[in-house]
Amino acid sequence: MTIATAIIQKTPIFGKMFAVDKSTGLEEINAWPALMIMASFVWLVVAGLFGFVMPATQIFDLNTDHFYTTLTLHGAALAFPFSFQLMMGVGLHRSGGCVGKGVTGWLPAMAFIAMNLGAALLTVGVLMGLKVSLVVMYPLPLVGAQMGVWSMNAVVVGFSGIYLVLACMILLYPILVIKMLFFGKKRPDLVLSERSLNDPGMLGMILSALTLLIAGTPLVIVGTTVMAALYGIIPMSMAAWATEPVVFQYAFFIFAHNLMEAMALMVMSAMYATLPLYLADGTRKLFSNKLANLALWILLLTSVTSFLHHFITLTPNQPAVLSYWGNIMSWGTGIGAAISIFTVLATIWQHGLRAEPGIMAALIGWVLYILDGASAVVTSNVAWSYQLHGTMWQSGHTMTVIVAMSIMWMGVLYHHYPVITGRKLDPVLGSWFVRLFTIGGIGAAVAMLAGGAAGMPRRFAAWNQEGWMFYGNLIVIFGLILGASFVVYMYNLMKSREISAPMGEMARA
Amino acid sequence: MLDMLFTGWGAFWMTLFMLVPFAAIFFYVVYRKSVTDSGPGTTPPATMSRIEGIWLAVVFVVFVGVNLGSLKYMPTIKAAHAATSNQPLHEVDVSATSWAFDISNRQIEAGSTVRFSGRSKDTMHGFAVYHPDGRMLFTMMLMPGLKNPTTLVHTFKEPGKYKVRCLEYCGIAHHAMQDELIIARNN
Repeated sequence: MTIATAIIQKTPIFGKMFAVDKSTGLEEINAWPALMIMASFVWLVVAGLFGFVMPATQIFDLNTDHFYTTLTLHGAALAFPFSFQLMMGVGLHRSGGCVGKGVTGWLPAMAFIAMNLGAALLTVGVLMGLKVSLVVMYPLPLVGAQMGVWSMNAVVVGFSGIYLVLACMILLYPILVIKMLFFGKKRPDLVLSERSLNDPGMLGMILSALTLLIAGTPLVIVGTTVMAALYGIIPMSMAAWATEPVVFQYAFFIFAHNLMEAMALMVMSAMYATLPLYLADGTRKLFSNKLANLALWILLLTSVTSFLHHFITLTPNQPAVLSYWGNIMSWGTGIGAAISIFTVLATIWQHGLRAEPGIMAALIGWVLYILDGASAVVTSNVAWSYQLHGTMWQSGHTMTVIVAMSIMWMGVLYHHYPVITGRKLDPVLGSWFVRLFTIGGIGAAVAMLAGGAAGMPRRFAAWNQEGWMFYGNLIVIFGLILGASFVVYMYNLMKSREISAPMGEMARA
Repeated sequence: MLDMLFTGWGAFWMTLFMLVPFAAIFFYVVYRKSVTDSGPGTTPPATMSRIEGIWLAVVFVVFVGVNLGSLKYMPTIKAAHAATSNQPLHEVDVSATSWAFDISNRQIEAGSTVRFSGRSKDTMHGFAVYHPDGRMLFTMMLMPGLKNPTTLVHTFKEPGKYKVRCLEYCGIAHHAMQDELIIARNN
């Protein structure tokens, strides 16, 4: 029994949901991924609790300080230890089963520790007073300490947490994926569904791992310099270049933007791999692998430089040509999305669909992802950006992309869950999850976009003006429905029933 | 028509314009091929190719059309118009510090074309101006440590009190970072 399996076994409540089936001989591709997935659901509960406190502070007119605390904690918990870690767990299990290589050794352990210890440290830092929002808003952490709003200790603890989380996402996880896909010997006993690297179901995994590594390296260099200065390893004067707001902001957004794009590439790839398994005529093929791969390549190439749209309203400090470039590249991602839309719908049209909860969750998550894509390209247009930047539109975009990708992964997990645990999920509860999520997810997204269209600012503890509370109430109502869908999903995990046939054999069938 | 499109609500309707047809087709395809008739499709490959071509052409035309239509509303184009017209350009300097604005001139005549030049003295701030009816007219990002200010040219057409808000999160009193511009009737 591996350490990961033992930790799961000893974890109350959540451990029951993800107890690894040891009878299949697949523990090497199941244990660490199961532990990561379990931890992601713990963080989902944390994010959910903070998510409800946040609007409650507005509705009941509580201390605005609580709003900014929960704002930072909710966003950080949802984006990194929940969404990214869920992707990491399901993605590694998928990769292992596709290439026949175990998820073992110190790398998955380090990735798990860095992500969860980092997220815990960041939480402690925020509870110590550091309220910097999901995207750090540099140089706010240092300015807040200088103004005496929070302590320098809170900055050091919070930054240490962020640094560990980034180390997981930028270095440990991509290196682990690259190691699995390109190095080591294939073990036939671990192969569940063999795929070549040209397969659309695998291509996205490689592209996203490389994107994270390459787009994140400048931030690792900047972050390491800042951390070394904060810990007194180098004098602050040597870190002056890295603490320049323009350097930090650009390094941060080159990564943060591409993180979302990398996660999108990976989840599209998982979708391309999963959809064919649910086709009614049993063909197990996409309408066109070439089109699917083309969409992934277009998404990759256009998205890498589209991060420039984050700084459109900084003009002329960001040269206008770069703003237009960001505008055009962002709309270029829409061409990739259009090809994806055609591929997915043409596949269903030509081969029929077995509408089981797992694939339906993945498909509805994909619809939400397309909705989010439409809102993203609109706000990336230079003219619209000046009307929308900094409003609830942007929060709606961020929330939607994270939730959409998480739901797609939860759908894919629905498919892999029996192989990992030897238990199956209830289809009735699965259908309720899909229904509630469809209403809550789309409703919350549209309400937030409408709030942004009406000029409602994001990260703003005073909704009760200009009629914005109306949108706030809609966000709360749809947020509650969305939260209910997650509760149903987790209840389903709790109530999962054992399967009599050996799952390893069924998975390979 | 385009004046309505390139506003906050125009963006909202544009998003729905892209989303609603997609969602309708998606739910139709999924319902039809999972409930009504889940058998293999009989659409010939040539027809599928034609649909693919038409779909991508529509997307391309919409994308190019929207972005070409938006050119007139881009701030750099507005600034170029202002520079070439004979109208005087009123300069207003904005300095942002947590959590207040220092605005060189808060009283402006309606019809005046103003160039706002904004800087931040400490952390990231925003400078967003709201019309008296509550809609946002524009926002600027003010980043500390830059040599040059962030600038934007705007012509105020209607008199009234225009609210100014910071739209970049800047700490625990971010929501209180507000100010006002008075646009007086042109005599």
